[in-house]
Amino acid sequence: MRIALLSLLLLLPLTAAAQIDASSATLDSQQELKELRARLDKIEGAPLKASLSAFNPAMGMAIDLAYEHQKDDQGAFQFRAAELNVEAPIDPFLKGWAVITGTNGNSPTTNGGTPTVDIEEAALQTTSLPYNLTVTGGRLFASMGRMIHWHDHELPVTDRPRSIDSFVGGESRADGLEVSYLFPTDTYINATAGMYDKLGADNTRQDPAGMRSLDQFTYLGRLNTYEDIGDDHSVELGVDSAWTPKRFVTSATNPAAQTRKNTWRTLSGVDFTYRYQPAQGGLYRGIVWGTEILQNDERRFDANNNPTCRVNAYSGYSYIQAKMGPRLRPGVLVDLAEGLDQARQLTKTYSGFLTYDVSEFQRLRVVYSRQMDNIPGSRQANIVALQWTGVMGHHVHGFRDR
Amino acid sequence: MKKELLALTLPLLVAALAVKSQAAGTLRVVATVPELVDITNRIGGSLVKVDGLAKGTEDIHQVVMRPSFVTRLNKADAVVFLGLSVEHAFLPGLLDVAANPKMRQDPATQGCVGTGCIDTSEGLSVLEKPDTLSRAQGELHPQGNPHYNIGPDLGPLLARNIAKGLARIDPGHAADYKRNLKDYLAELDPKIALWRKWVSPLKGLKAVSFHKDVCYLGRFTGIDFVDTLELKPGVAPTPTHLEALVREMKEQDIKLIVREQQYDPKVCQWLADQTGAKIAVIGTMANAFPGSETFEKISERNLKALLAAVGKGPS
Repeated sequence: MRIALLSLLLLLPLTAAAQIDASSATLDSQQELKELRARLDKIEGAPLKASLSAFNPAMGMAIDLAYEHQKDDQGAFQFRAAELNVEAPIDPFLKGWAVITGTNGNSPTTNGGTPTVDIEEAALQTTSLPYNLTVTGGRLFASMGRMIHWHDHELPVTDRPRSIDSFVGGESRADGLEVSYLFPTDTYINATAGMYDKLGADNTRQDPAGMRSLDQFTYLGRLNTYEDIGDDHSVELGVDSAWTPKRFVTSATNPAAQTRKNTWRTLSGVDFTYRYQPAQGGLYRGIVWGTEILQNDERRFDANNNPTCRVNAYSGYSYIQAKMGPRLRPGVLVDLAEGLDQARQLTKTYSGFLTYDVSEFQRLRVVYSRQMDNIPGSRQANIVALQWTGVMGHHVHGFRDR
Repeated sequence: MKKELLALTLPLLVAALAVKSQAAGTLRVVATVPELVDITNRIGGSLVKVDGLAKGTEDIHQVVMRPSFVTRLNKADAVVFLGLSVEHAFLPGLLDVAANPKMRQDPATQGCVGTGCIDTSEGLSVLEKPDTLSRAQGELHPQGNPHYNIGPDLGPLLARNIAKGLARIDPGHAADYKRNLKDYLAELDPKIALWRKWVSPLKGLKAVSFHKDVCYLGRFTGIDFVDTLELKPGVAPTPTHLEALVREMKEQDIKLIVREQQYDPKVCQWLADQTGAKIAVIGTMANAFPGSETFEKISERNLKALLAAVGKGPS
């Protein structure tokens, strides 16, 4: 009994020490937990490390350069465009974007050699309207046709095909309002209705700034649909018509004479796209075949704005572009354009092109075009163009221009 | 005339009611990649109808925007996506035109914003966050490496985020989603434990991949991915880079090349011939190969391919 008591007395300090160790460990853990909690509170409670510039729009720029060598051994370096785009949501219901383009004007599609800085697009678009409706307003590229609303640097060839360039007047730039409706069906069907001052960047038929009556605006209707044919093939079809009910044309030789009757114009089109895009490898392999046909029906005027006759002219292009791996995209394009004043005058352009995508943001292209027409005395033209395009920052033209 | 009108109107009304009742009973979900389709089906069960976008054989950076995807997104109640801008090639552009107020393009993240968005990267410990953001470094993902869907241990994260998202959108069935999640994890967790045993021979092995998309797979297997065939992410291999890579592989005795199935087999074979390394072909999405349509199957197949390339088998 005495031994047992002695042992207990001897063990007591050890037990106490163990208890002290355990309680100090608990204290350590609690202290550590407390510190961690304090650090977490600091992190969670800290303001977001973002400056007010986080609300600035996404920006990007496409720089498009070319060297073009034409008939008579004449060539020129062309600073075709520096296209600055800014885009951002405005509020939960609206987004906006602007495309500002500078060019030295050497390109055949620009302002006769005059350096220009121009607002190509500045538009607002709704993002959450009910009933699958989207409204776009401002300066925009009207949703006509397929290639008609592509920016120049997005085209498969260096120069805009003559068929759309002469009939539309460059890109489908327009000041106005568009409403589009996505049908709530399993098949993709989209309808667009638009009302604009005029349609076409280089279209000089209407004064873009002048006031006009409702029958002098241009009205567009477009319907397009798409169908997958199996996993790898798809077709897309669009039909549209732009109608300008009336225009007033004042004669240059007799300012008192103004032509008002029979001045309506329709520019109608059909576009068809076939795509072979095998799922294996995504965009790396495939074929795109695109065709677009336009019909222009309008009363024409001579150089002095005196009326001539109504002309019904047709134009169109067809191109095939193959995708052979991640870098190479060869293709051919055939373009036919009747004269707007004389439908019997036909200009044919045959082009072969090879695009080399150095990366997703840099592209080299060589294009050979042979242009001929049936105008007596005119010569055939052979054009070789080398194009170099680079994209900085965020520069995407989206689903419509895919 | 009235009868004809009635005859015409009745079927339309019945059809409209049928569509409405279907919409009321079933959640319409779009998932961007096949493994998300698989897991959403497992979590949602009969309560959801899931449509996919990418097939699984593509390069996820190059998935084509098809208008048929627009109609799917237009009618969807939710979109399940990987996030971290990996779907940048197709999801933002599609959301932009889908006219669905529940899911809109988020320009800041190239993802989705709205009540219908289910981002499966929430809570992910993101690897390879870039130090600097410059296109001179290739096609960088600003938020870090987004290819976590091929990390075999990350299936539970995908599943939990999907269950959480579905419960948020359809709170009336939250208990069902929770139960389905529990069942799925009860199946997946033992498999992950088994896969961990399989990959023990791979630990410390040095390898190169075609694209910089294998860090999560590397973390799970212990494989040290030291370089890529691509010069920079998204920039195709150049001759100079490949020559340097051959020297590097010889110096470091690297004997494994991992080729993602969508990338060029020829250049990998050339590299293998030069270095004596073996090639393992993996998928970066479910359904990349026949019979690999689920997360479990593609994970298992990828691990078996890695083991086979180094002369080992699952044990």
